[in-house]
Amino acid sequence: MPLVGTRPAADLASGPLVTAPSAERLELPGAGILQLMYEIDSAAMTSLLPPALHPTIPPTLVFTITKVPGGPFGPFVLAEVKVGSRSGARPRGLLVRGYCDSATAIEALAGRWGYPLSLAECAFAKRYDRVQASVVAGGATILDVALLNPDPISGNDVQYLANLNVARMVREGAEVARLIQVDPDYAFHSADRGRPLLGAFDASAWGLAGATPYYPVSASYCVADITLPEIRYLVDPAKNPIAAVERV
Amino acid sequence: MKFGIFYEISVPRPWGPTTEYEVYQNCLEQVRLADELGFDQVWAVEHHFLEEYSHCSAPEIFLTACAMQTRNIRIGRGIVVCVPQFNNPIKAAEVAATMDIVSGGRLEFGTGRSATWTELGGMGADPDETKKTWDEWTRIIPKMWTQERFRYEGRAFSMPERAILPKPYQKPHPPMWVAVTSPGTELDAADRGMGSLGLTFGGFQEQEKKIAEYRRRIRYCDPVGSFVNEQVNTVNFLFCHEDNMYGARTGQRLAGTFNYLAEQLLAARQAYPTRSYPNLGLLPALRREATSSPEGQIPEGLCIGNPDRIVEVIRKWEAVGVDRINFLLNAVETVPQAEVLASMRLFAKEVMPKFAGSRAGAETASVAGGD
Repeated sequence: MPLVGTRPAADLASGPLVTAPSAERLELPGAGILQLMYEIDSAAMTSLLPPALHPTIPPTLVFTITKVPGGPFGPFVLAEVKVGSRSGARPRGLLVRGYCDSATAIEALAGRWGYPLSLAECAFAKRYDRVQASVVAGGATILDVALLNPDPISGNDVQYLANLNVARMVREGAEVARLIQVDPDYAFHSADRGRPLLGAFDASAWGLAGATPYYPVSASYCVADITLPEIRYLVDPAKNPIAAVERV
Repeated sequence: MKFGIFYEISVPRPWGPTTEYEVYQNCLEQVRLADELGFDQVWAVEHHFLEEYSHCSAPEIFLTACAMQTRNIRIGRGIVVCVPQFNNPIKAAEVAATMDIVSGGRLEFGTGRSATWTELGGMGADPDETKKTWDEWTRIIPKMWTQERFRYEGRAFSMPERAILPKPYQKPHPPMWVAVTSPGTELDAADRGMGSLGLTFGGFQEQEKKIAEYRRRIRYCDPVGSFVNEQVNTVNFLFCHEDNMYGARTGQRLAGTFNYLAEQLLAARQAYPTRSYPNLGLLPALRREATSSPEGQIPEGLCIGNPDRIVEVIRKWEAVGVDRINFLLNAVETVPQAEVLASMRLFAKEVMPKFAGSRAGAETASVAGGD
């Protein structure tokens, strides 16, 4: 059977505590989404993932920076670096640690959807020749990405992975690690494709020590209305992929 | 109705020093038995880098071995990847002609373009280009086979005049097929006068509509080859057992395992936003069918269970217009070899005779091919 992750579940026990997972959908209109995919060195193929997940073949990282111009939490920029994986047969991106520039957004996204976020300076710029984003935390640039030479495509051609956010939940009186599945809907207004450029990436700052992106795959920039879903599925990171999925 | 077998050649982990050897030997044993039992064709894929799912990167070698160990069964390249980073059109034409000669005119020539980033990225191919190069190659390869000398100046390929040798044993050339995975590719097949090579699947009604449209369009086709190969070939799982529930359970395990493995790969669309790949990877419709039935029910279109059930399923496929069914017999050796062979024997004894008349009919009806 396919390879599975070897990362100890205890390594994923520092996510936000979610006591009331979102039971409602929530729209974030007019968001700009910059996404890059890179293949990573196969030395980290299984060490980034817990036993509940399979690595993709080849192993990948997905960099997603979302600029939300307004809405229920006000404007914010959300930066994620996700490990391409499979929960059983389903494509998923594991988010161990992300960053956001709004404390209000962090509180809502962490408490209701389990996003494991820290406050940081997040920059996002859309230009005619490029779309670029960066994250500065503790005075250091931990991510610098860009899409070069954007060319229009259809939003129908873009596919986003559902997230598995590293969080904690209470089970039988104890706090335990759980991966919270967040599979937003997207209504696209525009989409571009271009050349990916990874200028800086501090893997440790994203909880992904050992991840070495080396082969650019793709970059896209879309403007879309994002609808965050109600939470329906969780994954117990310690179990095998067949037994790991729980229904909320 | 004609029956065949279809190989991805999936190899289970852990990979010991003889694991691949053993899987290949099992496949060859199945092919020899299929030939004895009267199966019409054996197809093998061309895939690269697809860990466990498919260790069949040199199907021309495997199929030549099949041809050398059998007498009648036709050998199908399913498919030649018509993308320059994978193959070269001259070499593809030469290899195919050689296979046709050494097999005594038993080659079926499938064409396609790969569907995973795992392969396209690994080979350095541009996903936006693959449909275009496929289209170009399918028009020039039959000319390489039939013209004494060939020259060409095209968009993605050009060559000065040369004699491309050898020429195929079948005259004018082997039947040509298109692997149909993405929606609409069956219409590409029809427009080019090529057979629709059965990676399509889905509900009977949906399939019936697609086949009717294929048949309608092919009447007005501009054939790429020297003749029109109007045939619809589909793929299915086979596990035949006297005990219907045991057969169905084992067959569903086989289908589920296949599906699970296929999902681990990175479909082109998942990695690279492009209009060129509207569908999700390998045999997507077959995988949907394998997992779409309500709990406790046997998926309606799969050839698993006892002979009576399988006859019923095949009659439905026949009624919607399918000419050939190719069976996946195993996935990462989930089913023990002895049970695979027993399933094939039972199928040949109890199911194939029910379609003997229609098989002869299909032979007569197929447009002048190589056989």
